[in-house]
Amino acid sequence: MFSRRTRFVLAALFITTLTFVILDLRGGQGPFTSFRSAMSGAVGGGEQVGGVIFSPFLGVRDWWGTWGDQRERIAGLTAENDELRLLVERSAADRARAEQLDGLLRVSGVGRYRIVPAEVVAVGPAQEFAWTITIDAGNADGIQRDMSVINGQGLVGRVQSVTKNTATVVLLVDASISVGARVGGSSEIGILSGTGRQDSLEFQMIDPGAGLEPGQSLVTFGSKGGRPYSPGIPIGEVVSVAGTAGQLTRIATIRPFADVSTLGVVGVVIRPPREDPRDSVLPDATRAPTAPTVPSIVLPSPTSLASSSASPTPSPSATVTPSGSPTPSQEVEQAATPEPATGGSN
Amino acid sequence: MWGRQTLLCVTLVFLALVTQQSFLARLGLPGATPDLLLVTVIALAFAYGPLTGAVVGFGAGMALDFAPSTAGPIGVVALIFMVMGFVSGAAVDPRDRNPPLLIGIIGLSCGAFVIAFAAITSVLGNERVDWEQAPSLLLTATLYGALLGLAVVPAVSALVAKVTPEAVQ
Repeated sequence: MFSRRTRFVLAALFITTLTFVILDLRGGQGPFTSFRSAMSGAVGGGEQVGGVIFSPFLGVRDWWGTWGDQRERIAGLTAENDELRLLVERSAADRARAEQLDGLLRVSGVGRYRIVPAEVVAVGPAQEFAWTITIDAGNADGIQRDMSVINGQGLVGRVQSVTKNTATVVLLVDASISVGARVGGSSEIGILSGTGRQDSLEFQMIDPGAGLEPGQSLVTFGSKGGRPYSPGIPIGEVVSVAGTAGQLTRIATIRPFADVSTLGVVGVVIRPPREDPRDSVLPDATRAPTAPTVPSIVLPSPTSLASSSASPTPSPSATVTPSGSPTPSQEVEQAATPEPATGGSN
Repeated sequence: MWGRQTLLCVTLVFLALVTQQSFLARLGLPGATPDLLLVTVIALAFAYGPLTGAVVGFGAGMALDFAPSTAGPIGVVALIFMVMGFVSGAAVDPRDRNPPLLIGIIGLSCGAFVIAFAAITSVLGNERVDWEQAPSLLLTATLYGALLGLAVVPAVSALVAKVTPEAVQ
């Protein structure tokens, strides 16, 4: 079929390869050591040069190597990224909630209120002129009409209506609200009413002759049976007083402690404390014990300051003090109001 | 003519070997390494006929056997390349070239090399052969061989026509 020469060459090559195979399979150094090293040197040199030449193109390897699982990896990373982002956002929200809950627990713990915590789930429309919120606790959680609603800062409002799982709360700033309030550190009482404007309440004192200063705090006076308002809940701070002492009506503007626009976690007081916590829930009261004793009732002169710190008995003052005056210990506790007491009736 | 033909074959085989060992093998492509050397051998066999194909296959196989980073017994690749060079050269009439047939032969040869090498070295006692990998290696080797053939066969025939015009009647 093929020429004699072709057959001869083929046979020679075939025999040569078989010889190589057999000789190589005998193991050991074999007869090819020097030939192999020479060959390796030649080819290896070429491969070195080739390696240098081709090295810029080997970046393709990375592309190729990841090509197969890239889509899968992208999908995985995207999912993980979403999950982590959700976690971050959620943890920030959780932290804020935890802070609010902490404040709430502080208030309820100090005042010994039995509360049911709840979260705001809806807010009434502002164009209806009503300040109401909906919380996610209702009948099933023991909430009934006319219970006080507080948060970590103070009074928020009262429960207006209840369903099984939700309750509607009228906020403190609603124009329909009026709360019996007491000036912290004294027994002056008055009626606090909402104005319908955020950050502004009106406080009308019963005794027009009593002293009232910007910076003083108000707490709830308490209703019969603790409903709708439990006693001792911080309400707000006096911002300004209109009129002078002795006028027929003195109206003070109060800034509520609770910021009604950023409500998150609130607590519904389902059982008021057995004893009126008086002023102990006020934010300042907690820092009181180490502060110098400066009763918020007006002192005639600085010298009485020393005497009042020497004896816990309140020094006589020009202020008209009702019979149910604060006990000495409470006098000491709430005395930390930073503003030195001045003014009053003069 | 013989001198130029030998020079062309040696140069092409050497370039193919270096490219394959230092570039294609390091690309990390899935499956087999693209067997540029075998494709070149077969392309030369198409151009110069079975006898030259067999001799070039023998030489290229020996070079691969002796090259660093090849570990099989010396002579096996040479044997297989020699047979493939001869068969490819004999199967195709240099004056009647049918591109799909050429590419098919190259692809099948690259696939057949996998089987032949595994079979021969198994018989000779190679314990590395993993027959479970054989199907995927066979498939990818065939694919890569055919793809390389698409580029190598026209290039080699053009070079052959230029360097040794008398070989192409």
